[in-house]
Amino acid sequence: MSLARRNLFQDKTRLALSIGGVALAVMLILILKGFLTGMNRQITSYIDNSPGSIILAQEDVVNLLGATSLLPEGIIQKAETIRGVDEAIPILSQFVILDLHEKKQPAYMIGYDPKLGGGPWELISGSEPRSKREIVFDRIFADRHDLKLGDEVEVMGKDFTIVGLSSGTTSWMTSFFFVRKQDAEDLLLAPNATSFLLLTTSDGASLDDILRRLNNISGVNALTKKDMSANDIILFANIFSAPLKLMVGIAFLVGTMIVGLIIYTATVERQREYGVIKAIGAKNRFLYQIVVTQALFASIAGSALGILLANGAAQWIMSARPQFLIVFDPVDSVQALLAGLGMALIASIFPTRVMAGLAPAEVFRK
Amino acid sequence: MIRLAFRNLFQNKVRLVISVGGVALALLLILSLDAIFTGVERQVTAYIEYSGADIWVSQADVRNMHMASSSLPDSVARKVKFVPGVASVSPILYLTNNVVAGDERNLAYIIGLPENTELGGPWDISSGRSLPAEGEAIINRGVAEKSGIALGDEVEILGDEFKVTGFSEGTASLVNSVAFISMKDFEEMRGSYDTISFLLVKVSDGESPEAVAARIQTQVRDVTAQTRNDFAAQERQVIKDMSTDVITIMNLIGFLIGLAVMALTVYTSTLSRRREYGMLKALGARNTDLYLTVLAQAILSVILGFLFGLALTLLLTIVIPIFGSNLVLEVSRISLLKVGSVSLVIAAISAMLPIRQIAGLDPAMVFRGR
Repeated sequence: MSLARRNLFQDKTRLALSIGGVALAVMLILILKGFLTGMNRQITSYIDNSPGSIILAQEDVVNLLGATSLLPEGIIQKAETIRGVDEAIPILSQFVILDLHEKKQPAYMIGYDPKLGGGPWELISGSEPRSKREIVFDRIFADRHDLKLGDEVEVMGKDFTIVGLSSGTTSWMTSFFFVRKQDAEDLLLAPNATSFLLLTTSDGASLDDILRRLNNISGVNALTKKDMSANDIILFANIFSAPLKLMVGIAFLVGTMIVGLIIYTATVERQREYGVIKAIGAKNRFLYQIVVTQALFASIAGSALGILLANGAAQWIMSARPQFLIVFDPVDSVQALLAGLGMALIASIFPTRVMAGLAPAEVFRK
Repeated sequence: MIRLAFRNLFQNKVRLVISVGGVALALLLILSLDAIFTGVERQVTAYIEYSGADIWVSQADVRNMHMASSSLPDSVARKVKFVPGVASVSPILYLTNNVVAGDERNLAYIIGLPENTELGGPWDISSGRSLPAEGEAIINRGVAEKSGIALGDEVEILGDEFKVTGFSEGTASLVNSVAFISMKDFEEMRGSYDTISFLLVKVSDGESPEAVAARIQTQVRDVTAQTRNDFAAQERQVIKDMSTDVITIMNLIGFLIGLAVMALTVYTSTLSRRREYGMLKALGARNTDLYLTVLAQAILSVILGFLFGLALTLLLTIVIPIFGSNLVLEVSRISLLKVGSVSLVIAAISAMLPIRQIAGLDPAMVFRGR
């Protein structure tokens, strides 16, 4: 144990570089995962904060963000007659691409009636859109594009005035913005169209019963807000999971290589010493222990530093680019430490082979 | 000195493999992320590129398809047809929705096609019909395989049942696939009969698409007319603008990891050759010569790492689709240039670390047997 420690600590720069390398690899794994968790939280922010507990969509539509939904005419009245439904709030929503300062920015437009609800849940400044061609933008989104209250912004060829700034309504990929439902109808050339109904239910009413009754209406699909946000998360997770796995896999290999390099070099450099130890009767197992201990130390120290670095980097990224939300799950940190252990074990393979092939007599020949 | 760097590098094969491998993997991080986004750009523009249209006409100020909605009165088709230089026009209806087969839901561009259309239909049919009749759908083969759908089976789109009568190729991306149904079915499902989403235009022989697009733009009100190339470029720009920040962050991390690996390698190899460097100094070599050797060694390592990283990325571009993933990687020239420059910076910085070691080296050390 003490031999392993001395070997490792003899050259501080090398040790620092190896721990730093592993830390960077672990940091990358954690940031990627935290990034995905944060994105999941951001993409469901509208569903999580909108009024009601049930969302009524067009038949076969199970997502808010993934698909276009258009409800049959007269659906509000029909939904409100369903036993257990208190209030039906219509929204007309659609992704649009905004051209802001030569940059294409996908944004999710929510057309709503300010008297009924379904708009921004946290207004930082200004007011909700009350007149024609008024718009509420996300604060961070507006900031990124140097927009402020009173500025004009073009949406699908029409100029809108920013009358309010909302909070918690953006992500790196897209941002929510809010206009009056009538304006959304004009923009989409869809008079009286409704994409979704946000349904509030009476206290004590069974959600399952209400869902069953709603789903008897033809051409619609009723689901709880929880189910719809889960569907949106699955949709985006499907898109991002393959690239994410690839990146995490590469980061793991890089970490393993770094630990491997450092332990291998440390072992080869001390071949003579190990030969002496073997010559005076030490078993291979003892030497393996020395190698594995060194690898474990470098990996665990690197992983721990990686966790700290990831937290620091996340804070820095979120302050420099507020549209990113990076959320760490404690399970991810445990996984990172396990990844460190995995790196150590794999990295020990080469050096232990060097040890195994070491002839004790060699030391006396030189 | 270059010869010496070369020999230093190749003397210890395992260290060479680990260091080159480490740098290669770090560069692979940057290369593969770039390749993923370039691949997505190509995938999302596939439908536009293969539509057969020279010009795309959309609702005023709608400049792309992905994550966008376009609505035009069907009278626009008539007006555009009369614009000089227009050979034919073909409307399509479009929205994003799910193709449902059992428990499987696959997000798709749903395209409504007029009967016998020459533009906007599937461009590569692996089996079945090439255009959908009423009640029929043509879906992507990979999506069908994943969901266990055979020709003649039924899928649900927007609540209606459709019989799958054709499988198309090249119509799936990381994000979604493309499903084709008849325009009539599309209109019935939406309950709207007098609007279209986009108008696909073919220009007459000898006419330039740019000139005809400009003519449509000035002669027809409330539309945006773009050549196919411009329309596809706008689509690519959406992906580019969305991914810039992510790519920057990942590139920075990849760069730091590459730097750590390279610095570690150069440092350890210089350290292990202290005696040799001391000998060279004793024989009259200047510090600059030794620095150059270390630098040459670092540059050689990163060049090898870069080539290996590139080979790995190219291998991934072949291997990933074999496993049935819709993830397509495409290495662009810009990305190669960027990663090449990053590699050189890594080499230059990592070679600076052992400077102190070399400068402090005592030529007499070698005679003292240390």
